[in-house]
Amino acid sequence: MTRKLLRNVGVPVLSLLLLLALWQGIVVGFNVAPYVAPRPWEAILSVTQNWSTIWPLALGTIRETVYGFLIGALLGVFLGVVMAKIPVLQRSVYPVLVLSQAVPIIALASPLVLILGFSITPKIVIVAWIVFFPVTVNVVDGLSHVDPDLINLARVYGAPRWRTFVHIEMPATTTPLFSGLKIGATYAVTGAVIGELAASEGSSLALYQEHANSNLNAAAVYGTTMVMTAIGISWFLLVVATEVAATPWQRRSVARHYPWRRARSEASAATSIVSSLSKGES
Amino acid sequence: MENTLLELRGVTKRFGDATALAETSLSIHEGSFVAIVGPSGCGKSTLFNVIAGLLAPDGGEVRLQGELVTGATGHVGYMLQKDLLVPWRTVEDNITMAARLTRRVTSADRAEARRVATEYGLGDFLRHYPRALSGGMRQRVAFMRTLVTHQPLLLLDEPFGALDAQTRLDMQQWLLQVWRDTGRTVLFITHDVDESLFLSDRVLVMSPRPGRVVADITNPLARPRDMETLTDPAFIELKSRIMHLLHGGAS
Repeated sequence: MTRKLLRNVGVPVLSLLLLLALWQGIVVGFNVAPYVAPRPWEAILSVTQNWSTIWPLALGTIRETVYGFLIGALLGVFLGVVMAKIPVLQRSVYPVLVLSQAVPIIALASPLVLILGFSITPKIVIVAWIVFFPVTVNVVDGLSHVDPDLINLARVYGAPRWRTFVHIEMPATTTPLFSGLKIGATYAVTGAVIGELAASEGSSLALYQEHANSNLNAAAVYGTTMVMTAIGISWFLLVVATEVAATPWQRRSVARHYPWRRARSEASAATSIVSSLSKGES
Repeated sequence: MENTLLELRGVTKRFGDATALAETSLSIHEGSFVAIVGPSGCGKSTLFNVIAGLLAPDGGEVRLQGELVTGATGHVGYMLQKDLLVPWRTVEDNITMAARLTRRVTSADRAEARRVATEYGLGDFLRHYPRALSGGMRQRVAFMRTLVTHQPLLLLDEPFGALDAQTRLDMQQWLLQVWRDTGRTVLFITHDVDESLFLSDRVLVMSPRPGRVVADITNPLARPRDMETLTDPAFIELKSRIMHLLHGGAS
């Protein structure tokens, strides 16, 4: 158990520390001026010292990331299912979706702000725009690769199509679905930051960074980047944790007791104790 | 005289220019164990898929207990060489899969799954996921899933084809035991002549191009059968007869 913990948490933390050490080594070794690139410690300090300013801004970015991700994920699953089930739609909609991703998102951000205003809406739209695509692609692939024999088995049983979909096709697509969600999760925060930059008004993490940059405050620029990255990583890890919780069969050999079935098995255990006692007496 | 459970009248099936199944008529008695042997491409699986309703025949009709079921599904138990257990469900939940796919799973379904699993030696594995089971255990779960559908006719398409020889022999004996206990009718596809003779009351020999039944052989070997059966002179004689039919041998 401790070995496993060490491997799963210790090794990533160690590689992160090595990365910071490398940064420190380069900045010190090449004698880089502090206004060009700060030392890691200075960047971290600039975040902690300005935490009361940064946290509300970060909260805004988190909100954009999360809302955009959830909308994008739902949209992605919906489009994936519809396209996998209706071949005509797959042929007609797929090229449009590819087109939507070929457009540089930065070129789209400013018109979106113009249309949707300076609110949170354009940011959510940009995040969803980025997130939905890998989800759709993976869901379409997953649904079209479900074992046809399994679907035939359901047919032999006389299963209606919607039950086959709910109990066979969707669960069989869990792994590709989460692959899409994980890709989306890593890009989501980038979308939020692009949206904030395009808005160029109001207060946001991206504009805080812009401001620091124009003041030649490299420590704050790097510090803000670290905060943005931390948001991205945290969201990714949350998606991974959700996958782990949702797919116990990929790691466990034996299912946990379902809470609603526990009562019965305890009752049967009690019966067997009673019966073994009565045997002992006779 | 026993009752006829399944009756095929003049069933044919073509795929493009190829005749997968030439006009076939069959009558299967209730409670019997019928093996179908033949090389690949002889239409065994096509025959099964027509009976199961997965394929609509080009001609002819399929009757189950006198009722016309041509091209309809939901009236047989069906099992393939692939166990088709879903990895995200436990053994218990895999056994109740047919119920889940057609209606709501009841506590009676679960109780039956537990009873069947316990009776046939998998009681300790009810909460295991399929990945934790051996090939033989997985096939047994797949068979239990087929059994609890309560269909009178079970179509088994080379169910033990992927197992090693020892496990396969255990499974054959186990299958005979379950068949005796439950009184179901079994149609069993195999390409293994020994297996067909060891299990069945009757062997249908099929041949390709066009796929058809070329011989209908009554298997008189006494039950219960065991290892001795495999060396019985009557067994050897039947085996050689079927081998000749299969390989077009000069006899």
